[in-house]
Amino acid sequence: MSAEKPEEKAPAAPELSPLLEKVLARLGDRVLERHTARGDDRIHVARERILEVARILRDDPELNFDLLLDVTAIDYFGQPDDFETKLQVWDQNRAVMRRLPQRRHELVLPPRGPEPRFAVVYHLTSTRLAHRLRIKCRVPEDDPKIASVTPVWPAANWLERETWDLYGIVFEGHPDLRRIYLYEEFVGHPLRKDYAKHGEQPIQEYVGPGAKEPRRPH
Amino acid sequence: MAVQVVKVRRPAATFSSANPWIAILKGLWVSIRHFFGNLGLFLRGRQDFAIHFPEQRLVQPPALRGMPVLAQMADGKERCVACGLCEWACPTSCITIYPAETADEVERYPEIFDIDMSRCMFCGLCEEACPEEAIIMSRQIEIASYSRRGSLWHKADLLVPVDQLKTRTDYIRRNYER
Amino acid sequence: MLDPERKNPAVPIEGNQAAALEELHTPPMRLQFGPSHPATHGTVKITLDLEGEQVVWSDVEVGYLHRGFEKECETGYYYQNIPYTDRLNYSSPILNNTGYCMAVEKLFGIATPERCNYIRVIGCELSRMADHMLCIGASAMELAAFTPMLYLIEGRELILDMIDSLCGARVTTNFVRIGGISADMPHNFPEFARPRLDRALKLFEDADKLLTENPVFRQRMEGTGYLSREDLIAWGVTGPLLRAGGEPYDVRKVHPYLVYGELDFDVPVGEHSDNFDRYLVRLEEFRQSRRIILQCLERMPDGPVDADDPRVRWPGKGRVFNRMEELIDQFKLVTEGGMPPAGEVYHAVEAANGELGFYIVSDGTGKPWKCRCRAPSFSNMSPLSKMITGGQLADVVPTFGMINMIGGECDR
Ligand code: SF4
Ligand code: SF4
Repeated sequence: MSAEKPEEKAPAAPELSPLLEKVLARLGDRVLERHTARGDDRIHVARERILEVARILRDDPELNFDLLLDVTAIDYFGQPDDFETKLQVWDQNRAVMRRLPQRRHELVLPPRGPEPRFAVVYHLTSTRLAHRLRIKCRVPEDDPKIASVTPVWPAANWLERETWDLYGIVFEGHPDLRRIYLYEEFVGHPLRKDYAKHGEQPIQEYVGPGAKEPRRPH
Repeated sequence: MAVQVVKVRRPAATFSSANPWIAILKGLWVSIRHFFGNLGLFLRGRQDFAIHFPEQRLVQPPALRGMPVLAQMADGKERCVACGLCEWACPTSCITIYPAETADEVERYPEIFDIDMSRCMFCGLCEEACPEEAIIMSRQIEIASYSRRGSLWHKADLLVPVDQLKTRTDYIRRNYER
Repeated sequence: MLDPERKNPAVPIEGNQAAALEELHTPPMRLQFGPSHPATHGTVKITLDLEGEQVVWSDVEVGYLHRGFEKECETGYYYQNIPYTDRLNYSSPILNNTGYCMAVEKLFGIATPERCNYIRVIGCELSRMADHMLCIGASAMELAAFTPMLYLIEGRELILDMIDSLCGARVTTNFVRIGGISADMPHNFPEFARPRLDRALKLFEDADKLLTENPVFRQRMEGTGYLSREDLIAWGVTGPLLRAGGEPYDVRKVHPYLVYGELDFDVPVGEHSDNFDRYLVRLEEFRQSRRIILQCLERMPDGPVDADDPRVRWPGKGRVFNRMEELIDQFKLVTEGGMPPAGEVYHAVEAANGELGFYIVSDGTGKPWKCRCRAPSFSNMSPLSKMITGGQLADVVPTFGMINMIGGECDR
């Protein structure tokens, strides 16, 4: 057995990492939440202000986030707001499940909070200063829209197209928002949790060039 | 931050790079050297550059993961107790087990044990999960078949006597012992 | 889907040429390059509009190899997803295994033992060598240089032999485990590896001799596919492409993981940011990888290869056979998976084509809530259209070859 156990990190550590200090100093009240967990820094931003925040993060010489690594989304379908903030409830539930697995239907699921269903996640890094930051923006289900950050980082172009394709989140102001992996007639967005893994798609009639021509005998 | 950096250098424009014929001759020299090197090896009877497959076989390392088979004990029965762990661990769900009862000491045995080899990806997780050393990655890698039905292997086809699997069982005992 | 009227305004048409075009009324020719084109090593469709030989507009369409990797990961236990990561970049699978497992280890808060880290580094660097050999060989072949491809494939076979002796498979390795590796290195591995590394290097040098000084190859590579350093960063390009633009961004150096912080190696950078520099950077990285492996073989410590953590590592076979507690443990670990604490992590490793990151969101159960792969090929492909527009049709092939798009990773 190993001598020391890896210590559990509290979800919102009170002390600030040096990077978050700088970020908070520059962004001020635009940051809704901040977390440092397992060495990753993360801030939450309202979706209306993402473009503004992106500009500041890129242009500020102290922060200099010039490389956008990743844009993706998380679907918290039917789940609590954030797994980390509701950690205790989940841990209790797990303990109950271990002791009394036959009573699993009585589990107290954490109540679905007021937070919206989706979160759009950006990963940034700086080539010069070598720090990483994660930005999270909550996006509601009935109005899945967020401003595109393509004007700030052109790298977002394909990444946002991918997020639109797989999660159905509309990036407003994107120059060319069409599906990237799947075909245009695909129904639904496959990475949403309510899209069944074995879901089937309607068969599409071929409409491309040559569709009207008679079939050649093989 | 200080990163050890080395600048890549372009070869300067020399006489040879300006003159295609010289460059071609230089390239030809490299291929001719290879040709005669290989020819020399061939004449001396050493062919480490090609393996003529059906006649010659590659010497595989002991770590080789071939197709998963069931270990057959000396009395002709399988060692498997139909616990279902391999079925559970298999990422592609290609194992199908129907357990049944037996009067033996182990009480359970698989009535049906099918592996769909067209879905199996030879990952070896079933072998790692098995608590009985009953499913083992053999050294058998030639499993092509003429029909799709042929790639569905049933229990009778999968049984292999334990002593033929010795290389692999030794390897497992050596390496999965923590 | 495609707008035939769309033209790239970035390409100016000179005055007399414009007048001539006006007079001739030649519409640009629409050329479908791909999805399965003999001169591209990847399934991608490039739509080009040509004015004569010049590309005036282009559109790159990926997704022909989309297999739903992320959806599949959400329905499997953490340990079941490791074989799927082999299929991301199938020319350097151990790098993907390592990236995924390290991300999960970060989630669990596990530190792996020293010997495991060294063996992982060896596996990673062997994979990187194999990837660079395949990239250079295939690109050279697409430019009609067939012999280097043969030498490099022969050298790659030697490297795959080494990977084979490590983990029992050449391509679908499934080598790294969460909290360890699947099997310890064979005891004679250093003696097995050293002559093969030397021979692979010799073959590599021969291919280098054939290509680097060849005027035809140089003319097709030099100055093509140019993108400035600022553009490369803005478009999210990493890996050899970014380093060929002069930016020494290498995850192994800026965020050292495993034992890279203790090893002595250089990061090659270029200055012209064209295809020839990308090729030279790859050549140099191959030599550095060999250097890293030799250092690791020298310093290889003794000890266990698995973290002693009952949450993730399955108990040893001998104990499972003979003891009840370990048997129960094995059943629990297989049927529930290891349960990490809830939370989210991002961990990146330097893959052969750039930063390969895994972003894992856990809800505290044995299956990931979300497992996102930040694929370097995908980000590197996005500026392809910008690189080739305005150039010649013939430049498309070397540019695409040097981006080294691996369909499995780009489309996931
Ligand atoms: S080797 Fe892998 S895919 Fe094949 S049966 Fe075993 S677990 Fe399933
Ligand atoms: S894990 Fe082993 S004993 Fe259990 S069903 Fe599979 S082969 Fe049989």
